[in-house]
Amino acid sequence: MKAIGVEPYDKNYGLGYESGHKEYSPYPRVNRLRERFLKREFNIDIERARLVTESYRANEDAPVKLKCARALANVLDNVELHIYDDELIIGDIAAPAKAAPVYPEFSASWIEDELLNHPFDKREHDRFYITDKDREELLQILKYWRGKTVSDMAEEAMSDEEKAGNELGKKVYMTSLYHYGGIGHFVMDYALLMKEGFGGLLKKAKEAYAEKKAGTEDFYEAVITEIEAAERYIKRYAALAREKAGECSDGKRREELLAIGDNCEHISEQGAENFWQALQLWHFATTIVQIESNGHSVSYGRMDQWLYPFYEKDIREGKITKEFAEELLECAYVRMGNPSKLKDRVTTSVRNGRGWGGESLTIGGVGRDGHDATNDLTFMMLEASVHTRMMNPWVCLRVHEDTPEELMIKAAECIRAGYGHPKLYNDHTAIKVMMKKGVSLEDARDYAVVGCVEPDMCGMEFGLHDAAYINLVKVMDLALNNGRCTDCSSSCPRYKGCAGQGKRLGTDAGSILDHRDIEDSLSAFKKELKYWLSLTKKSLDAIEKAHRTLKPTPFASAFFADCLEKGRDLTEGGARYNYTGPQGCGIATCADSLSAINQLVFEEKSFSAEDILNALKSNYEDNPYLYALVNSTKVHHFGNDDDLADRFYTEVFNIYCDAVEELENPRGGKFTPGVYSVNANVGMGMNTPASADGRKSGEPISDNMGPVHTAVSSHDVNGPTAISNSVNKADHSRATNGTLLNWKFTPDCVAGDRGRDNLVSFITTYFKGSATHCQFNIMSSEMMRAAMKDPDSYRDMLVRVAGYSAYFVELGEPLQMDLINRTELKF
Amino acid sequence: MGVFGTKCIGRDACGACSVNCPINDCLKFHVDKRLAGIDREKCISCGRCAAACPSEAIKPWGWKVTEEELVQVILKDRAFYEKSGGGVTLSGGEPLLQANFIAGLLRKMRDEKIDSCVESTFSVKWEEAEKILPHTDRFISDIKAMDDKVHRKYTGASNALILENLKRLSGCDVPLTLRIPLIPGVNDGRENIEKTAEFILRDMGGKIEKFQILEFMHLGREKCQSLEREYPMEGLKANREKIHKRAEEIREYFEDKGIHCVLGNA
Repeated sequence: MKAIGVEPYDKNYGLGYESGHKEYSPYPRVNRLRERFLKREFNIDIERARLVTESYRANEDAPVKLKCARALANVLDNVELHIYDDELIIGDIAAPAKAAPVYPEFSASWIEDELLNHPFDKREHDRFYITDKDREELLQILKYWRGKTVSDMAEEAMSDEEKAGNELGKKVYMTSLYHYGGIGHFVMDYALLMKEGFGGLLKKAKEAYAEKKAGTEDFYEAVITEIEAAERYIKRYAALAREKAGECSDGKRREELLAIGDNCEHISEQGAENFWQALQLWHFATTIVQIESNGHSVSYGRMDQWLYPFYEKDIREGKITKEFAEELLECAYVRMGNPSKLKDRVTTSVRNGRGWGGESLTIGGVGRDGHDATNDLTFMMLEASVHTRMMNPWVCLRVHEDTPEELMIKAAECIRAGYGHPKLYNDHTAIKVMMKKGVSLEDARDYAVVGCVEPDMCGMEFGLHDAAYINLVKVMDLALNNGRCTDCSSSCPRYKGCAGQGKRLGTDAGSILDHRDIEDSLSAFKKELKYWLSLTKKSLDAIEKAHRTLKPTPFASAFFADCLEKGRDLTEGGARYNYTGPQGCGIATCADSLSAINQLVFEEKSFSAEDILNALKSNYEDNPYLYALVNSTKVHHFGNDDDLADRFYTEVFNIYCDAVEELENPRGGKFTPGVYSVNANVGMGMNTPASADGRKSGEPISDNMGPVHTAVSSHDVNGPTAISNSVNKADHSRATNGTLLNWKFTPDCVAGDRGRDNLVSFITTYFKGSATHCQFNIMSSEMMRAAMKDPDSYRDMLVRVAGYSAYFVELGEPLQMDLINRTELKF
Repeated sequence: MGVFGTKCIGRDACGACSVNCPINDCLKFHVDKRLAGIDREKCISCGRCAAACPSEAIKPWGWKVTEEELVQVILKDRAFYEKSGGGVTLSGGEPLLQANFIAGLLRKMRDEKIDSCVESTFSVKWEEAEKILPHTDRFISDIKAMDDKVHRKYTGASNALILENLKRLSGCDVPLTLRIPLIPGVNDGRENIEKTAEFILRDMGGKIEKFQILEFMHLGREKCQSLEREYPMEGLKANREKIHKRAEEIREYFEDKGIHCVLGNA
């Protein structure tokens, strides 16, 4: 039977965001849950911090893994539990719904600093609320953590050079994610969990413990402690559900609560027996991992695949209707919005947007046998997405040559509804990528997407995706100016320790004044990049060591081959595949800069290298003529299917990939290059002087794989097919940590059946190239401007920022403007 | 030459246009030294100013291109045509003013199996249209107004030749989309609409693929301004809702008459 969702495959869900529209779901319960979620405030909850600290104080001398395990157990055994009205899938992250727990083990000083000096509730955006009483208690708790956190240890190990260039200094590269937060960015083996249950894993851990090799005792003991605590935790929920059922006067709700109680009781030890239990088990396992560590992008793998056996069985046996299965999915989707992460003000100023982040849910694609694997759930997971229209989950549709047309149309209907999901991923390239990462063809076909765009081997890989962001534009700035910032001045806070003493930030590889041709400029860039990547690697080594030493994650490790077999934690290289994925940012800005220099200085010789350097140093103030010219179509620009410019895009892309591939991590794995910036291009731009592409100091660098848009012009002028051709000139399969491309179309151009079909054809043709990924904003700049003026009326308007969608009105102004300024495309 | 004065960075900072212009005092500047316009009587359209301008404040409306160059540009997007069934539309200006050139191009498109379409006013001699007829997959044209006086007033030309050509075209078995740019108070009245439908049914035997109503927008303003001509529709208030409502009424009328009719690009 042909796969199909609850609704016709070509059901229309509207065109672009509709202000004031509330009831997207046909299930009233889901609409109520969604509305309640949106209305809830973002609070800081201190219970996790209290329980963790209490346990650490009591276990000061315990081995680190046991210290971590006992802390998690203390939280799971004692945290207050909640079951909310209407919910069918329950469980939070050791805090009430939507409240952000505190993870002092990773970093604490910034929380102290912000509580004292920059109140969370006074922020411009990404505000959080905390009661005075909790604030006082939290300040006391945080004192305990001074000097004891992962970030403290990492920082201590970092050299001055590293600190000058990383997030603590000039931000040439940023390793902030794992520097300040926990590990994540992986997919647990959900299929195995569904089958074995916690009980099965516990048995496996106990058996391995009995035959333990020397040095692995702590790990097994920790795993056992944690899984047993997880079982007790779920049983507590079972008891609470039953208690609530006893108090409930509504007969229907009472039945639901009893069913929830029975589900929890069952899955507290055993595998799932039906669809509902499978979803509940998935949710508990995921959220407990999030209680253990605050790393984001704990992704769900190929959920339409590993859930399907339960759905199929329930439907076959008549135990469930398709409609109820979809309602359960939608309840789960709304739930996924709840985990909130408290992020520091520096991070939120450049990478704002709410939620936890990175919960990618992969659907579609080919099966292990290479044939299309679409099933009913593939359609239903898209329908659930368009019915809920929330930030989470980040639905990712795998596309291949034989993806059913009906599924493409369903996806196009979701996309043009304008809420930013799903993102699309190209099987052809991703499978190639996975094989490069040493995976068999069958396994490679089973890849899923983690976080924004990172291809990952579910249940086997610890890829440290998103490990760092490299500002390629800043690297180029240094490469053109003998290792000095072109905006070097005594007003820089680092001046005294740097140029003031005749030092430089980067290498002394010469400047553009010494270059004979563009090849020299490229070599200088390569050399400068290698220097910064070597520092990035050092910083990441320090960070990984700090995690390994202070905050291993035995609970999460239990879900990965071959941690239990080896008795080794994820942080120690226990997983079968170990990688580290840093991202290169601003590739088009670099390409257009090189193209301008090549054309004007080396080919036409209409400007000298000195002219360029002076213009950059003066932020173009001394050369408005050059500024106008490099922003005009008279200079070859990337994104126009113009080989003269696109060649530099490909060169920068390859230079970056080559340099990253050389590096190795402490877990015995290699580095995998990613080429995307998510939204870091805005924050990075703020710290980057003018560039030769016509970008003035402080403006965003180019986003992800996309073309340049400066304050005065969009450098792509030939429409979407030209961008597609340009972007496809790079071999995306080289970027084994993924690439990302944003498309912004006006609603008009995808209107009607023809518009929809054009969109499908366009995507299909784009993916005939090597492009790994793309995603869409179907929104006019006009509407975004309206939302800036009247945020209240656009409260739930989602926009695709990069790998994720975010509530537009919650974003900071610079990022809002960046979104508005992206070229509005038409067919 | 089109002039986009707001893009000019000023004579003092640049001055490239006046340095390169071979005619004295051809370029006019504001007091603040920004480009004000071109003395159209003196200008010989040599294009040197546009070539020299760094900010594209002067830009030619149109440029010279060879058939080979155009084919190269078109072929770049071949993959997109193949999947979507789309193709190339030659529009204008008036492509039939260069009928020999586009006939060659169209032949090439057919060799390459790329679908082609020509958008023309058909305000040309039939012989010109005949040159491309055998090589074109489809046509787009307009009936802007049935009343010749109105047509002359707003387009500067009679509609007699156009209507005659459309009549002939309807006998040629090439798919044709006819359109009307719906302009309030100019051509949206009952009489014009009825006459248009009548012409299609009687004179063209109803042989059009569809009739398309394009709702009026002030898209011509920028082009007029850049050419330093008065924009004749300035006084016209375009109430989008009202225009849309009228377009919907007209669509129904055409459909009732048995003419397939759509709004906008649907």
